[in-house]
Amino acid sequence: MEEEKRPILQFAPFQSVVDEGFWHRLSSLKLNELGIDDSPIPISGFYAPCSHPQVSNHLTLLSESLPSEASEKSSTSHGNRNRCWVPGTLYNTNTLETYHGLDKQALLKAEAKKIWDDIHSGKAVEDSTLLSRFLLISYADLKKWSFHYWFAFPALVLEPAATLNDIKPASQWFSSKEAESLSAACNEWRQMTATADVPFFLVSVKSDSSVSLRPLKDWELCDGDGQQVFVVGFYDPCHLPNNPGWPLRNLLALIAARWNINKVRFLCYRENRGFADLGLSLVGEALVSVPTGWRDHDCVPTAVGWELNRSKKGSRCISLAKTMDPTRLVVTAA
Amino acid sequence: MVLSQKLHEAFKGTVERITSPRTVSAFKEKGVLSVNEFIIAGDNLVSKCPTWSWESGEPSKRKPYLPAEKQFLITRNVPCLRRAASVEEEYEAAGGEVLLDNEDDDGWLATHGKPRETKQDEDENLPSMENLEISKQSGIQSIPSYFGGDEEEDIPDMAEFNDPDNLIETDPATLQSTYLVAHEPDDDIILRTRTYDVSITYDKYYQTPRVWLTGYDESRMLLKPELVLEDVSQDHARKTVTIEDHPHLPGKHASVHPCRHGAVMKKIIDVLMSRGVEPEVDKYLFLFLKFMASVIPTIEYDYTMDFDLGSSSNS
Repeated sequence: MEEEKRPILQFAPFQSVVDEGFWHRLSSLKLNELGIDDSPIPISGFYAPCSHPQVSNHLTLLSESLPSEASEKSSTSHGNRNRCWVPGTLYNTNTLETYHGLDKQALLKAEAKKIWDDIHSGKAVEDSTLLSRFLLISYADLKKWSFHYWFAFPALVLEPAATLNDIKPASQWFSSKEAESLSAACNEWRQMTATADVPFFLVSVKSDSSVSLRPLKDWELCDGDGQQVFVVGFYDPCHLPNNPGWPLRNLLALIAARWNINKVRFLCYRENRGFADLGLSLVGEALVSVPTGWRDHDCVPTAVGWELNRSKKGSRCISLAKTMDPTRLVVTAA
Repeated sequence: MVLSQKLHEAFKGTVERITSPRTVSAFKEKGVLSVNEFIIAGDNLVSKCPTWSWESGEPSKRKPYLPAEKQFLITRNVPCLRRAASVEEEYEAAGGEVLLDNEDDDGWLATHGKPRETKQDEDENLPSMENLEISKQSGIQSIPSYFGGDEEEDIPDMAEFNDPDNLIETDPATLQSTYLVAHEPDDDIILRTRTYDVSITYDKYYQTPRVWLTGYDESRMLLKPELVLEDVSQDHARKTVTIEDHPHLPGKHASVHPCRHGAVMKKIIDVLMSRGVEPEVDKYLFLFLKFMASVIPTIEYDYTMDFDLGSSSNS
């Protein structure tokens, strides 16, 4: 059983960052519009490929992540290259007790089911942004101006876990001619408004060493075309030299569930100073065994992904009393 | 806020309201930018350094003289691996001249930054890297909280909530503890990596760009603006770098006060012109960001300048 000797492919968890503006807008929404309505709210998160060898990128929430208030003219254009859109759901509770009492497993499962449904219906192939989703539970204490919150980034779990054949910098995987062509193709992909914020794609390598980037759906069009080798690519927020970041998990799930492929080559696309960096980007080859039952739409796979806080699972809390104190706001508004 | 600062803000606000924005270029004469020139220079920065983007910010804070989608420039998640305060200490200990010896042969930054005369009093209350390391111990116990100092007892300890709802995810494919795995044995380095959102706004009163800093700590929680001052050259902390309301975003942010920006930019432009280089206004922000690097030397934002500053490029 040589497969058992191979290491398990391990993914670096996504990390969240919440801009202060998000809490300001949430408070204002809560006070002015939502009242005690605690139904889930669709929100947007943003991320970008890792762009520095020493820090990972994060899922960022900004004030624009929340729906704009009716009184304001909305002019939020969705993504740009530094803001790739990730759909999310916010469960903001009215009390701390409800917050702690939320059935986190069920919420995570519900969010994972959306991903699973989109994989099965083919929507996630058409619009790959649907492969990454997130979930935020929160309690906004508007008397003390403190906010309790916890993120989850649902990932469908392959059972058994995918194993890793090999992983190395993309610059070593590709020939220098291919690497040059790949860099150019990636930079072009990241410059075009239509593709700049599309985080999953196919890398097609032709026998003449020319490389092009294509949308995921081209897989189903070009399958069986012997002229090219395909590598699946994704915007990797992670900076680590030996591990891919979290978004790859649901891409592998899609490949296993829909395309039934056992050996997957993947490109962890990373940048330096805003341009493709193939020394930092990784190419890996993973062996995936398609879990039994995955062909069956009704069997939703297990999901994991509650965010770690300093390596432990736990809710976070932020106090913004000093910048949100109403008396102070009155002074600045005057 | 100090009263004099407040008065000045009020004065500045009034002047901004009643004066129309600059339309005639005074870039070479005064080192300042018109609104249009700011847009041109910003567009060029975004195209050469794509980690920067234009943003529109809070709708209620939108400035009518700027296009709605180009209110200010921002680059997010910029690493800051070391505290400027401690870098300077090491530098001085090694006998270096602060700010003057800047790899630039021309030394035009020296006119602004002066070698510091005294350092004892400041150093005592500014945490150095060593101090941070000690405080790290206690920091780990509780959830980090922004401005949370005086309300510490209200902030519940993380341990209380540790998994009441069987969230133990035994998933072999989740990489445990990203930083430790990656950087052992010296995981300290990564634990101390702060990140910054750096934004550039147009200051209508001074007619120059203005830099704002929003810091995040090692676990990506908002950093108190006071702690941001550790990442500012100590010649500037609490003097030219102040903590104020951001013109487009909510909350208090550290900012490099623009009162001398025009004068310094004028000097830089004069030096270039004396060397026969005709500076172009679309390169203004590259020069400006290079100058800002003397104030925030350890925040590694991008201002790549590997092209000719003056002569026209094919952009």
